[in-house]
Order: sequence, then C-alpha cells, then structure tokens
Amino acid sequence: MTEETHLKEEDVIAKLDAFAELPDAPPKRRIKLSWIGKASVAVVVFWLVIVAIGPSIAPFHEMDMDGDDSFLSYGEDEDGGLLTNEYGTFYLGTDYIGRDTLSRILFGARNTIGISLLATLLAYLMGITLGILAAVKGGWIDMGISRVNDAILALPTIMLGLIVIAAFGSSIIVLILTAAVIYATSVFRIARALGQDIMVQDFVEAAHARGEGIWWIIKSEVLPNAAMPLATDFGLRLVFVVLFISSLSFLGLGIQPPASDWGSMVRDNLQGLTYGSYAAIWPAVAIASFTIAINLIVDDISAKSGGSLAKKMV
Amino acid sequence: MMKQMVLQRIAIGFATLAVVSVIVFIMTSWLPGDVASIILGQAATPETLAALRAQLGTDQPLIIQYFSWLGNMMTGDLGISKAGGATISSLISSRIGNTMMMAGLVALISIPISISLGLFAAMHPGTSLDRMVTFGTLSTISVPEFFIATILVLILAVNLHWLPSTTYLTGDETLGQLLKAIAMPLFTLVIVVSAQMIRMTRAGILNVMNSPYIEMAILKGVPRKRIILRHAFFNAIGPIVNVIALNLAYLVSGVVIVETIFSYPGLAKLMIDAVQTRDLPLVQACAMIFCGVYVVLIILADVASILSNPRLRQPK
Amino acid sequence: MKDKKILDHELKYQDLDHVDKGRVEKILAGNKGYSRRDAIKLAAATGVTLAVAENMLISGNKAIAATPKKGGSVRMANPVHGPDDQTDPMMFTSGIDYARGRAVYNGLVQHADDLSPQPELAASFEPNSDATEWTFKLRKGVEWHDGTKFTADDVVWSMNRHLSDDSTSVIKSVLSTIKEWKKVGTHEVKAVMHSSNSDLPTLLGMFQNKVIKNGTTGDWIGTGPFTMESFQPGVKSVHKRNENYWREGANLDACEITAITDPVARVNALIAGDIQIMANVDPKAFRQVESADGVTLLSTPAASQLGICILKNAKPGEDDDFVKGMQYIQDRERIVKRILKGKGVVGNDTPVSGAHGSDWCSELPQREFDPDKAKFHFKKSGYSGAELFVAPVTAGIEDTCLLAQANCAKIGFDLKLKKVPNDGYWGAVWMKEPLNVVTWNMRPTANSQMAIQFGPGGNWNDTFWNNKRMGELLSLSLAETDPAKRHAHYCEMQTLIHNGSGMVIPAFTNINDGIRNNVMDMPKVPLGQCGAMEWPERIWLA
Repeated sequence: MTEETHLKEEDVIAKLDAFAELPDAPPKRRIKLSWIGKASVAVVVFWLVIVAIGPSIAPFHEMDMDGDDSFLSYGEDEDGGLLTNEYGTFYLGTDYIGRDTLSRILFGARNTIGISLLATLLAYLMGITLGILAAVKGGWIDMGISRVNDAILALPTIMLGLIVIAAFGSSIIVLILTAAVIYATSVFRIARALGQDIMVQDFVEAAHARGEGIWWIIKSEVLPNAAMPLATDFGLRLVFVVLFISSLSFLGLGIQPPASDWGSMVRDNLQGLTYGSYAAIWPAVAIASFTIAINLIVDDISAKSGGSLAKKMV
Repeated sequence: MMKQMVLQRIAIGFATLAVVSVIVFIMTSWLPGDVASIILGQAATPETLAALRAQLGTDQPLIIQYFSWLGNMMTGDLGISKAGGATISSLISSRIGNTMMMAGLVALISIPISISLGLFAAMHPGTSLDRMVTFGTLSTISVPEFFIATILVLILAVNLHWLPSTTYLTGDETLGQLLKAIAMPLFTLVIVVSAQMIRMTRAGILNVMNSPYIEMAILKGVPRKRIILRHAFFNAIGPIVNVIALNLAYLVSGVVIVETIFSYPGLAKLMIDAVQTRDLPLVQACAMIFCGVYVVLIILADVASILSNPRLRQPK
Repeated sequence: MKDKKILDHELKYQDLDHVDKGRVEKILAGNKGYSRRDAIKLAAATGVTLAVAENMLISGNKAIAATPKKGGSVRMANPVHGPDDQTDPMMFTSGIDYARGRAVYNGLVQHADDLSPQPELAASFEPNSDATEWTFKLRKGVEWHDGTKFTADDVVWSMNRHLSDDSTSVIKSVLSTIKEWKKVGTHEVKAVMHSSNSDLPTLLGMFQNKVIKNGTTGDWIGTGPFTMESFQPGVKSVHKRNENYWREGANLDACEITAITDPVARVNALIAGDIQIMANVDPKAFRQVESADGVTLLSTPAASQLGICILKNAKPGEDDDFVKGMQYIQDRERIVKRILKGKGVVGNDTPVSGAHGSDWCSELPQREFDPDKAKFHFKKSGYSGAELFVAPVTAGIEDTCLLAQANCAKIGFDLKLKKVPNDGYWGAVWMKEPLNVVTWNMRPTANSQMAIQFGPGGNWNDTFWNNKRMGELLSLSLAETDPAKRHAHYCEMQTLIHNGSGMVIPAFTNINDGIRNNVMDMPKVPLGQCGAMEWPERIWLA
C-alpha cells in the first residue's frame, strides 16, 4: 500500500503512457442499454425484489399441503375460475402433493437465485485468484493448479456433484461450494489465459523491469485489463449453475425439502404435463425469465463495450 | 514447433490422467457405504458383509486397492466390476460405440447448423432475425434438459407416435431403423448443444469485428459479409473450436440425463451407476476414458486454432 | 373401506379424487370417441358419476376371450438396473434380477396369488412329525437349458451354497434355521433343520432360492420357461421360450427385460406402446395411466409399509412420548388419499395389514391423526425438534415425511428432514440414524413379517426394540394350532408393537404396475412388483 501511495512522478507518467498505447485498454465510455436491455434489467430487479419479499407476500408457506387435490390448474374448478378453498386461493394451481405453486415459486426465488448468484460469484473469486496466480507465478505453481483444474474439468460435472452431495449432504452451503468449485475451473482457464496474454504485454514487462512487486502488477495492470472479458462470461456461468442444481434434482439430490427450488419444481411436477397441469411450466418460465434477462443484459453490455467475449469459453 | 507443442500437450495429458485417478480415488472414499453394503443392501448382515468383502478384495485398505488397480491398469487389465462381476472391458466396449456414435452424429448435425446460424446472426446484428436466434438459443439453454426431453417425448412419441420414446438397439438394424431408434435423444442433444455453440459463434465473430484491423477494413469500404467470411471468421476460429471441443467432451461424458430418459446405453450413465454402486475400478475406468477424450479434444482444438491463425504459427 | 368405495361411485365428477377423474375421462373418451379435453369438459358439465361411467364401459366393451394364446413377445421395464445386475440367484436384490431369475430358473417351490406355496421343481414335499426334517421329491425328466439332466445333486449344491460359513447369500440369515441339505436319491433331497420350522416351503419360494446347475453360480443356465439369449448388465436381457420345458410353459415366444430408470419416461414408454409391462407406477402418474388409452393400472393390495423407524436405544426415541408424538402427527387418511391417491390403506403402527388375512388384528383400535395429542406428547417428552433422514426407499415415503413436517410445524414442533440418496442408504443411515425411513417387501406370513423387524436381537430389528414377550409369542404362535388362540397371540404381538415399539407405520402402499391392455392374466402375488415377477410363464397376449 505504502509503496503505491509514494509513487514517483516518472512512474505515474510511464504507467499512463503504457495505458494510452494499449489497444485493449478498458473503454471508459458509459454503458447505454437498448430497450431490450432495459426490459431485462426490469425483470432481474423484479426477481431480486421477490428474493427479498417473496416469502412475506406468498399466500401459503412453501411446505403447506393445503390444496384439495394435486396437479389442479386454473380453470379446473367447478365455475372455471380461480381455485379457492377454506385455506386460500391457488392462483397458479397446486403441485403434485397439493402445495400452492405460486407460493413455492415465491419462496424458491430465494434459493434458486441466491444459490446461483453466490456460487457464480464465488466461482469467479476462486477462478480469478488462482488463474492470475498461475499466470503470474508460472512454473510449478501453474503446473500444479492447472493439472488439478484440468482434471476437474475433464470429469462430468453431474458426477462431481453426485459424489460431493452424497458424501456431505445437500445443505445450501454444500451446494454453493460444489457449484462454485466446479464452475471455477472454467473461470480459471479464462483468467489464466488472459493473465498470460497480459503478462507478456510491454507495459507489464516495463513495470516488472522497474522492479514493481507482483501484487502491484496484478492490482494495477492485470485485473483492470481482464475485468471486462471475465464479466461477460458471468451470464452463461449463472445459467449453468441453475441447470446444475436442477440436474442434481434429477438424481434425487438437490435442495433439502421442504425448501423449494425452481429446477426441482420442474422435475417434481414433470408428470403433470401429461394431463394439462402447469405446475412444471411456471417454474420453468421463472428460470427462463431470470436467466434470459441476465444474458440479454450481458449481451448489451458486451456489445457496447467491446469486451473480449470470444475468449470466455476457452 | 507444432510437433513439439503436441508432444508437450500429450505429456501434460498423461499428468492430467494421473491427477484424475487420484481425485476420483479420494472422492469415492468420501462416499457413505462400500460396494458390499450396496450389493447386499437392506439384507446385509455383518457376516455376509465380511464374506462378500473378502471375496471381492474390498476388505483391503483403500490405498492398497488403488495401487493394485493402478498396477493392473499399467498392464492393460481393466479388471472386473466389483458390483456385478462382469469384466469392465465388456461393460465399456458394449457402450463406447453407442456413446461415440451419438456424439459423432450430434456433432455432424449441430456443428454446421450452429456455425451457419451463428454467422448468420453475426452478419445481421441487432436485426429481428438476430434477436430471434438469440432469444431462441437463450430459451433452450435456460430450461433443464429433462424438460426439453420430456416435452419432445410427449409430442413426438406419446401423441404423434412418430418416434419411439426409448431407444432399443439390437445391433443388427438397418441405417434407417437405427436413425429412427436414436432420433429422439439425437434431436434433444442437437438442441441442447447447438444453442450454446450458436451463441458462442456469434459472440466470437462480433468480438473480432471490434478489433482495430476490422474497423480499418470497414473504413476502407469492404462489404460486411466479405469481412465476416474472409477475415473475422478465421480469426474467431480458435475460440469457436474450443467451445466445440468442450461441447464434444460434454457429449461423451455429461449426457447422463438424456441417456437416462431415453434408456440410451452410453458411458455417462455407466459412470453414474458405477459411482452409485461404489464400483471403484469401473468408476476409474470411465474417468480415464473421459479424461482421455477431453485431453485429445483440447489438443485438437489447440492445433486447429494455431493452423487457422497464421500469426500463431510463428513463435513470438 | 367398502362403504367409501360405494360412496365414491355416487360422487359427481367434480368431487372425485384425481385418479377416479382419470377413469371417468378415459371411459368417456373411449366410449364416445371424444377427445380427452372434451371428455373433461363433458364430465364437468354433466356431473357424471363414476358408477354411470363404469356402466358405460361395461356395456361398451365386448367380452374378451379368456383362452390363452401362444405367441408374441413383450418388453418389460423395471425401475432400476446397472452394472450391478446380478447373474447369481443368491445375490439377487432388485426387481430386474427377480424377473430374469423367474424367466430362466425354477425354484423348488413357488407362490400362488394367495401366497400358498406350490410345488415347482419339487413334485411334493413333506415334513417329519416335528418339522425338523423336510423331504422333497423332485420332478423327473427335467433338463437344463444345455441339455443335461436335472438331479438331486443340483438341488443340494444350490441350497447348501446359502448356508456355508463364507456364503455371501442375501438370504443367509433368513435360512439360518436350516442345518444342511442332503441327497437321499437321484430325485429326492432332505433339509435337516436346526429347529422346527413349519414355514420352510414358504421360505423356499423366495426370489433368491432358485435351483442352479451343480458346480455353477447360475451363469443363466436354468431349467426355466425361457432361455437367456443375451445379457448386458445395465442394458437389457433377451429371452426365448424354452421349447423343452418340463411343463406346459410360457405362452410368449420371447421377452426382453430391461429398465427405464426415469419414472416419467417409463410411463411415457408404456403409453407410447414401446413397452408392454412396467414395474412400479409412481402415484404422480396414476391419473395419466388411468386416463390413457390402451393401458391399465394394476394395483395389488400388499403389506408394503411406509415406515418411519425411531431407534429405541438412542435419543430421542428412547422417550416413549416422543414416539407417541410422531405417531399421532401422521395424517393417515390424507396420506392414503392424497399421497398414495387411494392405492393403499392406513396403517396402525404395526407391520401387519389386512393383506395378511386372518392374522391381522383388526380389533386393535386405529390410531388417528390427532395434533393435540401429538403436541401433548412432544411437550411431555421435552423435545422441540428432531431430524429425520429420508431416502426415496418407496413411493410416497418422502411425501409422507413432508406432510408430517408440515403438520409438526403447525403445532410448533420442528421436524427437520434430511434427504439422502438411496445408494448407500441401507449401509450408512438405516439402523444408524435415530430417525430414518424404511420399507419392506411384504412377507408371506404375519409371523415372518413381525419376526424380521421385531424379533428380539434380530439382524434387522430396525428400531432396536427388544421385547422378551414378543420373542416368546413369535415362537408360540408358530406352534399354535387352535385358530382362536393363534389369533389371540397375533393380536397380543400387534398390540405390543403398536404401543411399545419405535415404529411409525402410517400407511401401506399397494403394488402398482402398468400394462398394455393386450397383456392378459398378469399374476397378482403381492410379494413384489409385477405379481412378484411370476409373469414370464403366465401372461399371454390377446
């Protein structure tokens, strides 16, 4: 810290010059969203509000089995109207054991969005830290981390999830950590590749020649240049985490009952599709609306900012 | 240079295989229960458990089991499935062909579709056609595979009776019968992987379009189509090939849900079954195959991106 | 139960439960040629009753010929398979093994629909006066699939394999009363018992007690109605009719035994006509199978318990009030109606049900859902919460626990559920965690059903409730010949379990399988799915 605050004037000038010459220096223009981008932001904000207040506005508790029957849908009531009984009204119908679908979606927002956001953020934290560490340090550290990373990447994600969850139980913490480690591997590859690219750039070599510390280089040079390409990868990664958790529910793992999660709701109510129940459709719509909105925002930002989107899947 | 790079990657590949075997070994040791307690299940008694463990050789410490597996592996002996007694080579050989056939067919259909749709979308960015492609791909990425697969079954098999709902392979069907038998899982997987590849192709090309030399070409008045087909596409091949490689690896190892729903006898389900029965040698054998496929695909992707980009062919 | 059924018939469409709704829809659609959507509308508009709909069905359908026809082949799908599909009958543990075993091998004895033991490879069997020795006369002229003759040596080899010290047999401890099997003649064998056992023939009907060729471990060379043409573990097996069978034999030319592990896909495959028999229809799918054309839901009453084990030798189960609380919080009627969709009966916290016939203690007062009593007992026990381990060991068990959780929450008791996968469950959770779930395939007799779970010191006494009187009664009742006294013994045992054990059995589920309508004469042996897999030799295609 103190080193940086006492930078010599020459150094500051050298650094500014380096930035000016750099073709992929982060753009400074403001991000303006298209109408699709704005609508997507509205959808995401809507779901974040539901995360905050969902349980308090839900007509039922997520565990209540108060419906008169399972797989009831709107319009199946005698008068063709809303399904209502002495406990309340089931606006989106009931699920396979008579729970209120709407309430479970409102409760489930917290788990689905919370777990996927936290796991993705954690994946980024781990992936970027290790990726840049590997790029900057090189040698045996790079070799060691990269091989373990490749090994995890080579194994099917669903098998890794199966083992960890069968071994440690499917608490929310375990789910988040498992998804984070699994998806950190791809982030690691991007971060390391970007880090290596940047490390051989002239301005970093210059900084190195000046005798700057490794952390100084990471903080001042590597991170700002890698930030935008990594951020654009975020959207897809988030979708993958949501899908990962729902695929665990396919193997009978996934989130602990009675907590609801949109992916498991789709899975549990799939059978209802065959006789016109929408109990599996609504949570699928919820997943799609949230993940599509996030990706459209990412598209908008990356289209405007010229970030290196292409490298994201490497 | 190229040869050296490939040799180096192969060496790294073997290191990765070794790491995979250790990771799989450590992870399976975390699992509750062992193969004997799973075979005997609810009917297990201490005596039968001990007898079965002795018979299977799983009463040895795990570390010894690991090294005996490693020793056999070195001599090319994959061993015997602890859970069922069949040889692992027979279990795998009956499925590896199915898996490779499915992955190959899906690739054959989805790669051309994805690249042309991705190119098409990139040529007309911001138009309603581009938006349609984007929205369509995002919608299919965002819903779980089992949802797509089940909807397809309900429409094409249960209601219309056009296609069988499950795959039954007898081994002596004609090409037409074979294609009909595997049409449903094939279709599902094409949808699932194409969505991602279309998206990445479009993104890769648009990204190259932002680079200074393309801007220069645009300023010089070269038509957009020509720029994309002549310049941008070849420069974007590296990242696109990488995405294809990862998707192919996924088609070999990760399609357990599709294999389950359509009862398609492939390797992905075999490995999950092996994990669930704690059949360590079988888990290891599958892990080695998956890791090998992954390594080969990544090397191929690297080679392809170097070949496609003349600048990379020369060392800096 | 009977009254309820009549009542249901008089209910109008709107008030029917959803399975019966499905039946009405199917009948209307099938008879009048309406689409299903129209049928639903029609039913709702006219308020048709189930009785009316069923009358339409009877008058609409022609009587179907009941003489078995030869020929055809079926594909049968189980819920589970994998590389652990077994070839050795001694190691059979899952439905798909049982089905293959039934197709390829024979036992000495087999079960009829009424659970009575019938001679199979044994032409006749009889005990000595105190049932310490059983003599079996074997059928002559039986040949193995490879053409060699079946003799007493094969039987002695097959049966003694279960008993040796290093035997890994799944049923080793079930057969522990047998000392050894001896050859008496070329077609006669003798079982020498450690102690008297009048139930031996019933035990010999178990899935694992198949007769295999002397010196082999099965290897799919059997004497059974079908030969094994190809066997791929975790994929399928293909069977052809054994033309050289020792009795009339199978009607089908061939069958294929496989599994579709995804329950939704399994039902879809049946409705699409890709399979003809499916084992285990999930309650979620009842309405779909009931209302689809060309398929039938077969529901066989069986004493398959939805059980919650509370360990009596650990906290909190050692406290009787805690157990009582867990028993009173079970909303049994609702479990049967909503979760099992009517395909089951309420349980009374004993493992014996009406399916066991006269040994069921019907006079034992039914324990009802009573949240106030549950609250009282939980309060008295001093516990305000507990953790229950749940695995999907049988259809409906998870939902039963979810319902208990919701009802506990309403009386301020915090019942946490810990969901764990099925694999590893029996070794790592069951009989280890203080609260866990269990199910048992129905045993043929009430005595064996109670002995396995509540015999003092038994291997599978899964609530660790060791009651000395229970042990005495188990052997007394076996020896008792007077029906009234025998019933009194059985009632006393069930009362002991009902009041003292750590077992919560809120309901018994039926065995639910699906078939295409052209599959005729499906067996109904209630000891397992698909008529305890007796189908290969018995069914025929119309």
